[in-house]
Amino acid sequence: MESRVTRTFALWCPAWAVATACRADPALVGAPVAVVERGKRGLVVRAASVEARTEGVAVGLRRREAESRCAGLVVLDADPAAEARTFEAVARAMDPITPGVVLERPGVLTFPTRGPSRYFGGDDVLSTRVLDAVHATGVVGARAGVADGRFAARLASRIAGPGGARLVEPDGSPAFLAPWPVGVLRDVVDARDAAAHGPSWRGQPEGTAKSTRRGEDLVSLLVRLGIPTLGDFAALPAAAVLARFGADGAHAHRLALGLDEHAAPPAPPPPDLVETCELDPPATRVDEAAFAAKGLADRLLERLEVLGLACTQVVVEAETEHGEHLIRCWRHEGALTPAALVSRVRWQLDGWLRGVASDCEPGIPARSERDHEWEHGGLSGGLTLVRLAPDRVVPATARQLGFWGGDAAAHDRADRALARLQGMLGHDSVVTAVLAGGRAPSERVRWLPWGEPRDDGLAVGAEVPAWPGAVPGPSPARVHAPPVPAELLDSDGQPVCVSGRGDASAEPAQLRCAALPDGGGAVTAWAGPWAHDLRWWVPDDGRTRCEPGYQARGRSLLHVTRRRRALWQLVVGADDAQIACLVVVEAGRAGVEAVYD
Amino acid sequence: MAAVPRRDGEARAWLESIGRQAQPVTLARDRSISLPGDLGAVVPGAALQRGATLTVAGPVGAGATSLALELAAAATAAGEWAAAVDLHGTLGGEAACAAGVALERFAVVRQVSPDRWATVVAALLEGVTLVLAEVPRGVKIGDARRLVARARERGSVLVALETGARWTGDAQLRLHAAGGSWHGLASGAGLLTGRARSVRVDGQGEAARSRVVALVG
Repeated sequence: MESRVTRTFALWCPAWAVATACRADPALVGAPVAVVERGKRGLVVRAASVEARTEGVAVGLRRREAESRCAGLVVLDADPAAEARTFEAVARAMDPITPGVVLERPGVLTFPTRGPSRYFGGDDVLSTRVLDAVHATGVVGARAGVADGRFAARLASRIAGPGGARLVEPDGSPAFLAPWPVGVLRDVVDARDAAAHGPSWRGQPEGTAKSTRRGEDLVSLLVRLGIPTLGDFAALPAAAVLARFGADGAHAHRLALGLDEHAAPPAPPPPDLVETCELDPPATRVDEAAFAAKGLADRLLERLEVLGLACTQVVVEAETEHGEHLIRCWRHEGALTPAALVSRVRWQLDGWLRGVASDCEPGIPARSERDHEWEHGGLSGGLTLVRLAPDRVVPATARQLGFWGGDAAAHDRADRALARLQGMLGHDSVVTAVLAGGRAPSERVRWLPWGEPRDDGLAVGAEVPAWPGAVPGPSPARVHAPPVPAELLDSDGQPVCVSGRGDASAEPAQLRCAALPDGGGAVTAWAGPWAHDLRWWVPDDGRTRCEPGYQARGRSLLHVTRRRRALWQLVVGADDAQIACLVVVEAGRAGVEAVYD
Repeated sequence: MAAVPRRDGEARAWLESIGRQAQPVTLARDRSISLPGDLGAVVPGAALQRGATLTVAGPVGAGATSLALELAAAATAAGEWAAAVDLHGTLGGEAACAAGVALERFAVVRQVSPDRWATVVAALLEGVTLVLAEVPRGVKIGDARRLVARARERGSVLVALETGARWTGDAQLRLHAAGGSWHGLASGAGLLTGRARSVRVDGQGEAARSRVVALVG
């Protein structure tokens, strides 16, 4: 039997990046503001103020697009450290209410409701108290959600009104989750994936490695399969989901069912994993403390790595010279990578050291950014001790480096040279091959831009799933995509066609193609055709025939289109200079798809 | 105990052979990349000298690309990095994998305009050990000389693939894939299984006398 799901309170401050900016510069209040960060597509909007949103500025828009939609938009760069620092004020306001606060990211915190809810007399009283406490810090528009499980609670907070709470009754999470679209799973899967293929050795800053599309892939596949809501997804048998979608899918399925993210409650980490660092003289500057914390974080992750563990939730503790004891818990959707852990610890120390208390009072002008000019916000002295304790650990699933390792210096040198070429020629010009499933040679390889995480689903020697209709034999060294136009003729000089049943109209006798030496020649040996339908699930692209709609589970799912394609293996030319090639015939037209060079 | 025979002789021999493959690139005294199998018969000393320039030529379908990929495979098998300049975006990734190239250490540069070609190859020679560069038309002889010098200076191997145009610079070794007959395919039956191919080798020094080597597979 499943363990009981933890009833969780989630607090969400919408557009926290904008709130932070407004707090630093009160002149921005009431103006259309958008905070942008550098993503894969350039500068994209990460958060927008209400005024900007009414003008049509949405999260994920490019900067230019956002500016064209809203005249007079104030565009600011994202500053995660400042966001975390100001959010510390909100976290501190929770201290009188509950000790179990977990920070998910700046703007979102959660805690289990069991203790505080009983103490204050119910979830609704608790929500009121929390929202009042948050309001007292000067944050407007915070929303609360209470539900069984963290995922449901966060979704509940998303549909609560500004300054309001949405309570989901106990055991009501599955019913509450059912009507949500599966799109809400996208970020959860992406975060898991980014952590698994995270910036372990590349030294990339956190965030740049999040170019994976697993979440998008899963969601779009579910929608195409006619599973638009979490309820439909949850109705599938768990074993089938695991078999079809892998660990990510199984994780998403558990969330859709309203269960906890871990099948069994994770074992408490061994107490000796706590890393402590005493600071003498006491650290009064953020960079001093952060420098110490970096070594601490590296040591902690190194020890966890030896044990084959990864950390998803970490407790940051600090003591001051006057005996104050500060504790804060940070959680990450996937496993914390070194960069992510260091930035969280830094944010936290920053929040403690750089006067959060005075930040909360409106009307105070923006402070100087120089580190040593902070006011001791609630702290009476410098930090004497910093401690990191892993609060929740899971088995590490990150990629293992090769046994032979390779020369690290050579690796860096190659990386630098290739990054330089990417800067010169464009991101997509330097690529690396990843084997993928498919029938034609051009489908069996995906070319990824250099630096993007490779998911070696089909490594050498791995069991390759069967692709009926794939061309066996050696792999051609030259692959033309799209195929080079050619003429495949029979002995009478007529083009060879392939019928709907996959039969050839005649035996091929002659191949003419500009890409071959002497323009082709007589076919001396051949095999085929191997006919198959191609991408019948893709909407009509004009070249294909569209057949009547297809009904699946009562919904009109897709237009089914058919692209029938036939492949031939041919050997052209005389004995001493034979050329082997792969010829494709599609819609009556022939083309050389690949040459065995 | 001394009389007890070692029972792991086979495993030790295997480990040693792997060690030999990985060894030459780490030792300064023998700056070369060993070539396994048939390829060893093609190149004098069964090794690619670091800093050398090679050309690989041959008409379409004769096996020049496969030969070049096998050279790249030898480099990556020794733990080194390789890169290819693919002018027309036609290099087969699966063929590279089948030839034994470690794909995670093999970068392919595409969309290179002819006027930037020399810059790109020079940048690659800085970073990776073996550069497989398709030669476009109109490479200046001065650029070619500079690239040969750059390869020698950096200790990288430049493999000029003469599919589009001839390499105008120096080369220690010139390989010419001469093609051969394919096996396994008949009229309407069978499948391609492999081919007999031959490589003509010209060059300097030990390889000065032109010879033809037949390769299996």
